[in-house]
Amino acid sequence: MSIALIRKKGLKAGLSHPASAWPTGALRYLIAASFTGFCLFPFYVIVTTALKTETAIFAWPPAWNFKPTLQTFYNALFVFGGRSAVSYLINSVIISGVSTFLAVVLGAMAAYGFARFFFAGKRHLAFWILSTRFAPPVAFIVPIYLMVQKVGLLDSHIALIIIYTAMNLSLVIWILRGFFAEIPIEIEEAALVDGYSRLQIFWRVAVPLVRPGIVSTAILSAVFSWNEFLYATVLTQSRAATLPVYLAGFSNSMGLAWGEYMAVGTIAVLPILCFTFALQKHLVRGLTFGAVK
Amino acid sequence: MRIFPLVEVKPEAMKLATERRRATLVLIAPALAVLLALNLFPIVYAVYISAHYWLLARPQPPRFAGLSNYQELFFDERFRNAVLVSLKFIGLAVGFELVFGFGLAFVFNAQVRGMATLRKVTLLPSLVMPLVVGLVWFYMFNENFGIVNWIWVMLGGTRVPFLTQGTLALLSIVATDVWQWTPFVMLVFFAALQALPEYVYEAARIDGLSGSQIFFRVTLPLLRPAILIVLIIRAVDALRSLELVFMMTKGGPAGDTEVLPWYLYTTGFMSLDLGYAAAMAVLMLALVTVLSQLFVRQLESREAIL
Repeated sequence: MSIALIRKKGLKAGLSHPASAWPTGALRYLIAASFTGFCLFPFYVIVTTALKTETAIFAWPPAWNFKPTLQTFYNALFVFGGRSAVSYLINSVIISGVSTFLAVVLGAMAAYGFARFFFAGKRHLAFWILSTRFAPPVAFIVPIYLMVQKVGLLDSHIALIIIYTAMNLSLVIWILRGFFAEIPIEIEEAALVDGYSRLQIFWRVAVPLVRPGIVSTAILSAVFSWNEFLYATVLTQSRAATLPVYLAGFSNSMGLAWGEYMAVGTIAVLPILCFTFALQKHLVRGLTFGAVK
Repeated sequence: MRIFPLVEVKPEAMKLATERRRATLVLIAPALAVLLALNLFPIVYAVYISAHYWLLARPQPPRFAGLSNYQELFFDERFRNAVLVSLKFIGLAVGFELVFGFGLAFVFNAQVRGMATLRKVTLLPSLVMPLVVGLVWFYMFNENFGIVNWIWVMLGGTRVPFLTQGTLALLSIVATDVWQWTPFVMLVFFAALQALPEYVYEAARIDGLSGSQIFFRVTLPLLRPAILIVLIIRAVDALRSLELVFMMTKGGPAGDTEVLPWYLYTTGFMSLDLGYAAAMAVLMLALVTVLSQLFVRQLESREAIL
């Protein structure tokens, strides 16, 4: 048995790097628990502020005991000076949903191409795609704004959808390339012998096998589209404006409408919290582009 | 694909080769087209715009300016300040995140009850919408009713204007970024620690290395790639972040938190001077390209086959 194989088996049996020697026992729990608490505390503040009345929001010392109210949610969604958050929420769902779908479809196709076919310049192409992950939106916003303006797509869903698709492609391609490469090639060879075309093999054999990878990639792309602020705020105004555009309006409220904005913040954060636990396994791999597995 | 040995008839093989070529094109072309249109083209276009006096508010067409936008940047005090503030922000935020994340990875690296759950929970901050992060920390740092101030007063201090005093404002934004990204850094280091093979440690123990020797001579060198990767990712992401500044300080007081992205954004979309903003964008892209090449090198050296 080769060393690599022993290592692989060892890892599978849970015999990886042993626990760190430091810190030990109670101290370890103490540090870990207080750090977790620190991570969670702002979430507590978001939700409780959304549930507070105005007096409680501005209270000094902070009101720990307060009577929760859903008035702020109601205000933010339905009243609030004619600026309801509902349409922003709907736009966010449509735009991140469609762009995620497109990024995953186009990305999975390209990922399979990179994992299974050889062609000139493939390596360079793959690493160029990887480098687009680093593209800072703020450096692209000026040319992209002019491009979108020229084709008459300012304040349209489609502009944001296409931009977010491009934004997430490198992520999808790089994560799924790894997943496709892990499929034993014999399975696809058997399908080829059975008379499947290459594209049929991709769609009917390979894609079903990497479903877990596709799901986590899709969630990650959806999170990035959902959270994106700069393109949304520059390229949309009302018709296609998303939740971050709504939240950006806080500065116009003269710092008074904390409750309402925290309510929208809660709505913006909640779906992410629900998905996170499902995602944990592949997140680090995704965020570092497979550099760390 | 290792398919040719299976095929013996020559015309068949030719047909397969053509089909394979076509499949490659069909699979890769769409994604490539999107990236060319929305990544490569905008870069070229940005260079073009940066060579023009391009004012959005004016009806006249843009006028060729050569390198004068860049020349102007060179003498622009505000630009110099923005670069400096960005460097301070990146240095402080990424520095703290790496140090804390590194230490915490060792804390969380143990197979004891409940640790896995705690680790999962710490993931939450890195997925939250940055604007909401800005909003909630803006609230917590408030001078009159913020919780951070309340804690500070409880500890015996006097009220602090966290977001309206120069150095403090920058440090508050750094603290917010550290809150959001330390867990991610920790998780990367944790995953890297988990991937370290046990036999190396056995060998080290057999050779009689002490605990601290093992740390400095085995663990640390083996973690070097992970440190570099996370350093580059965080540096690039911190360089482009402007949500926290947007929400918490708007670049104030007196430009003390005016990071480069914020200056670029206001130049382009408040002063509407697109040519000048594009010149900044081009310089920023050059810097990001260098950093991303470093990242690619790191990754390339670990990819045996592609």
